[in-house]
Amino acid sequence: MGALSAVHGIVARDLARTTRQTSRLLGGLARPFLWLLLVGTGYNAIARLEGGLSYQEFVFPGMVVMAALFGGMLTAISTVYDREFGMLRLMLASPAGVPAVLTGRALAATLVGLFQGGVVLAFAPLVLRVTALQMVQAIGALALAAAASGLLGLLVAARLRSVENFAGVINVVLFPLLFLSGALYPTAGMPPVFRAIARLNPVTYAVDLMRHALGQQGEFGTWEDAGALLAASGIAFLAAALLFDPEQRFVGRGPTGSAIEERPPASAG
Amino acid sequence: MSEPPPAIAAEGLGRDYGGVRALDALNLVLPAGAVVGLLGPNGAGKTTAMLLLATLLSPTRGAARIFGHDVTRERAAVRRRLGLVFQETTVDGLLTVEENLLFAARLAGMDGRLARAAVGDAIERLGLAERARHAARQLSGGWRRLVDIARATLHQPDLLILDEPTVGLDPEHRERIWSILSQARQAGTTILFSTHYLTEAEPADRVILLARGKVVGDDPPELLRSAFGEEVAEIEGPGAQRLVRALRGLGAVKTILQTERGFRVGLTGEREPIVELAGAATGVNRLSLRPATLEDAYFARTQDGIQWAP
Repeated sequence: MGALSAVHGIVARDLARTTRQTSRLLGGLARPFLWLLLVGTGYNAIARLEGGLSYQEFVFPGMVVMAALFGGMLTAISTVYDREFGMLRLMLASPAGVPAVLTGRALAATLVGLFQGGVVLAFAPLVLRVTALQMVQAIGALALAAAASGLLGLLVAARLRSVENFAGVINVVLFPLLFLSGALYPTAGMPPVFRAIARLNPVTYAVDLMRHALGQQGEFGTWEDAGALLAASGIAFLAAALLFDPEQRFVGRGPTGSAIEERPPASAG
Repeated sequence: MSEPPPAIAAEGLGRDYGGVRALDALNLVLPAGAVVGLLGPNGAGKTTAMLLLATLLSPTRGAARIFGHDVTRERAAVRRRLGLVFQETTVDGLLTVEENLLFAARLAGMDGRLARAAVGDAIERLGLAERARHAARQLSGGWRRLVDIARATLHQPDLLILDEPTVGLDPEHRERIWSILSQARQAGTTILFSTHYLTEAEPADRVILLARGKVVGDDPPELLRSAFGEEVAEIEGPGAQRLVRALRGLGAVKTILQTERGFRVGLTGEREPIVELAGAATGVNRLSLRPATLEDAYFARTQDGIQWAP
């Protein structure tokens, strides 16, 4: 009961914060729409895709996943802000401790990803021919994609030490995950090395599952996609739990490399 | 019937950060209901000691129990009895005061009506009603600190650990915070606090002085004061050292502190011969006699390069 209350508190706080950071929320939603409208319109003229799909039709499942990926991951990674500004230690001082903090953050990130992806998905009838059943299936796929995104974000946040690294994470983690997922172009045309990396990328399976759900042809089977996403989510959660260092806020560490050195809290009296 | 366990029992509790010994070995038994001040200069180990007792750091050596619960093996049980105020305010600026407190109540394991009742009570107790719906980022530092205290006390903890709760606050807010903590004391809450405002530690039952990770004093404030001297003479001027020597010869000196401007001498014995000797001294620009304070004891025991001659 105590742990559930703590998880409830963390989720409620994260959702309240998300709704009040309107520029971040709108920015997250603008990204897929800009891609669909600006890049999609331009590529429609030059892209020749199998099955007679327009580029906008092809890219739409990827845009739904992109919205969920950015929403979910960035919400989870915002743990680093809490670490920097002291809110994390408040959560860690809760009797429910680390498991409740990780579960709460993962759940909140999933909900934010689900919401952002859901807004894009709501525009599906304007781009694709979809049935009500396909929309329901897409919501299921979106839930899995959002959960995987949130948990991957949690894994990144587990060892991220300062907010200065935040922009770097977007460039080094988020964009490669998206570009090597088949969301923007088919993985079939990629060089073998990139294709191999794409196969290890959980986002590839989220995009593929979304394609199946929206009636497009996928590269893998539906259950294969769902299984890969569940496995990646489970592994990410376990790894985040193992890597998460509750003392990190209190114990500063050396700058980089092997010369890691513990030092007393900066504010220590 | 067996006696209830002490609020805090620490034995050789210590923590290293790599090669740095932040806290050497804290030995401490605090009965329930006690109010104890933890004093010391920056880097003395106060925050480390508090974080260890609050289960947020693991000790390198030693052990501690809070109301009988081990701080490393029974963290959840310890945390249930604990209210914490960190050195920096821990308030989410995007949430309202009420939402911040509701968040804290849920973290403490309360939910639904119970949480709302605890939040409502804390808002009333701390006088936050007018600001309850304000975004916390609109509050001044003093009000944020009051929200911190409300947060730490809303689940009615048996032990409050406060790391410099009044740092940077105006006298009005400081007064308010100590009056709230005094109510908690009357209700039987055990309080362990650190502060750099030494007068704030005067009403404590006990004061622990820390320096360079070691306990250098642990007594009630009046004992620490009287150990320095019954009265204190502050002596400045070229003839100050001569007068100190003469006072020493008289057997009236308990402690001598060399300060940047002269000497601070803890005196003992009859006042009259001291006053006579001081009156006849030459080369003394300033001489004042006053009662000993906690600050005298603090400087005597915690500072480098200052003589401490009990």
